[in-house]
Amino acid sequence: MTEHDPKGRGAPGGASRREFLRGSGVAAATAVLTGQATAILDEAQAAAQDSGPKILKGEVELTLKVNGHDHACTVEPRSTLLDTLRDRLDITGPKRVCDRASCGACTAIVDGEPVYSCTTLAVSCQGKTIETLESFDTGEHGVPHAFCKDDGLMCGYCTPGFVTACKAFLDKNPNPTLEEVRKGIDGNICRCGTYVGVLQAALDAAKAMKGA
Amino acid sequence: MKAFDYAAPTTLEDAVKLLDGPGSVALSGGTDLISRMKDYVTSPERVVYLKDVKSLAGISGDAAAGFTIGAGARLSDIAANRALAEAYPALHQATVEIGSVQIRNMATLGGNLLQRPRCWYFRAGNGLLAMKDGKSLVKAGDNRFHAIFMTDGDALFVSPSSLAVALAALGATVTVAGPKAERTFKIEELYQAPKRPDESEHTITHGEILTKVTIPAGAGKNASYEARHKQAQDWPLVLASVNLGMNGETVSSARIFVYGVAPIPWKSTTAEAEIVGKRITPETAAAAGEAAAKGSAPLSMNAYKVPLLKTVVKRAILAAVGNRYWEV
Repeated sequence: MTEHDPKGRGAPGGASRREFLRGSGVAAATAVLTGQATAILDEAQAAAQDSGPKILKGEVELTLKVNGHDHACTVEPRSTLLDTLRDRLDITGPKRVCDRASCGACTAIVDGEPVYSCTTLAVSCQGKTIETLESFDTGEHGVPHAFCKDDGLMCGYCTPGFVTACKAFLDKNPNPTLEEVRKGIDGNICRCGTYVGVLQAALDAAKAMKGA
Repeated sequence: MKAFDYAAPTTLEDAVKLLDGPGSVALSGGTDLISRMKDYVTSPERVVYLKDVKSLAGISGDAAAGFTIGAGARLSDIAANRALAEAYPALHQATVEIGSVQIRNMATLGGNLLQRPRCWYFRAGNGLLAMKDGKSLVKAGDNRFHAIFMTDGDALFVSPSSLAVALAALGATVTVAGPKAERTFKIEELYQAPKRPDESEHTITHGEILTKVTIPAGAGKNASYEARHKQAQDWPLVLASVNLGMNGETVSSARIFVYGVAPIPWKSTTAEAEIVGKRITPETAAAAGEAAAKGSAPLSMNAYKVPLLKTVVKRAILAAVGNRYWEV
C-alpha cells in the first residue's frame, strides 16, 4: 500500500481488484497519451480564443479533500464521486448499489450535508469537504458502535450508508424523536428490512454522542 | 454514460455562452440528469455545471413584497425557509415531501421544474410520446402512473414537477435568460403537451437558462395535499395545490392545480368554478373534488387516480383553512 491507507490495513496481501484496476488505468493512460496531448492542444487553442471558464475534457487532474486529507487523482468529467472514492482512492465505505440516487448505500457527507455520491460528479467536488464513514468515531460514543450494539444490520450492505446518513442527521439534530429519525434517514433503504434496529441505533447513538 | 466535456462557469453570462450550441445541457443537482445519462436516455456532448453560478442561488423577499427564489436554490434551502413556509404553505408542503434528505440537499428548484418525465417508456428510450410502429406503448402497456386528462392526445406521461403545481397555484412567474433577451412569463406556460416526437414538454428553447421564480405577495389561503404510495423516496400519485382568495367567509377567487393527472400542471377549472362563491365546508370541498374529476378519461390501468383526485382536491381545500380532519 502507499502512504494513503484509510483502513489502516498496511499488511501485504495479494493484488486487490482495485489495485489491478488502478494498474490497468496506468496502462490505459499511456495508450491514450497521444489523444490527451491533442486534447490539451485543442484546449490551449480554445483558451487563446476565449478567456471564459475552462472546458474540461478527457482526463482531468483533481484534488479531493476526503476525511481531512487531500487526495490527488485522475478522473474523467463523467466520473462520479462514488466511483472516484472507491476505484481511484480506495475509500470503499460508500457502496455502489442502485447507482441511481435511490437506495442511499453511497451516502457521503459533502460540505456537511449528506448526498448520494453515485449521482454527484467528482469534478464538481473540488474544493469541498468530503467525509465518509472511515473518519467516524468507532468507539462507544460513535454511530457505528450503536449499530453494532442494537443489531442494526443483517446482510450489512446498506449499513455504511445508514451509518453515514445517521451521523449527518444527528450532527444537526442531537435530540431527535423516533418520528424525526424516520424522516431524517428516509433516503436509505434496507432490503433485509432491519429498520427497527437501525432506528434504535440512531436513538441510542444520539444519547451516546453526548457522552463523547 | 458517454464521455462529455465539462465546464463550471461562475457567472450567468459565461453559462449562457457555454450552453449555446447543440449537444450542451445544464447540470445542477444532477439527481435526474446523471441517472438519465447513465441510462443513455440523454447523452450530451457538453455539460455545463450551474451550481457555481452563485447569482442563481438565494431566496429573497418577504410576505409583504413577495419572494424571489433563485433557480439554483436547493430544495433543502426552500424547505428550511420559515418565512416562505409561513407565506406559502402550499409550496412548503410540496417541497418537504420530495425525494429524501439526500435528494433535497442536491436538487435545485430549477432542476425540479425542468426534470424530464418519469414515464418508464420515455426512460427506456422510447421517446416522450412512446410510439412504436404507429402505436402507443403507453395505451397498450402498463400505464398505471400515467395521465387521466388529455388522454386523447399522444402525450400520456405526467408532468413530473410537484413544485410547478404549487407555484402555479400561487401565481408564480419564471424568468429565463438566454442568448436573446431575458423573458418572464407565468410558470404554467413553461409546460406544454408535445404533439410531435421532436417537441419538448418545456417551452424554453435550447440555450436558455431558468434563472428565478417570483411568487407574488398576497397569496390567499393556500395548501398542498398529496396521496402517495410510499412515504419516502417516491413521487406523489396525485397532488393538489390550492390558493383561495377570501371575502370574509366566502371564496372570492380560486387557483387549483393538480399534479399526476396530465402531461402539464393541470389547472382544474371545474373545481375552481365549483368552490368560488361558496363558504368552505366539508361538503363544498367534497363538491369541488367531485367537480375536479369532470372530463377525466383514464387509461386501462389508472382509473384509481380519479377517486384520489377527488380526495386530494377536497383535502387541499380544507387544509388551506386549517381543517385537517384526517389527522385527528
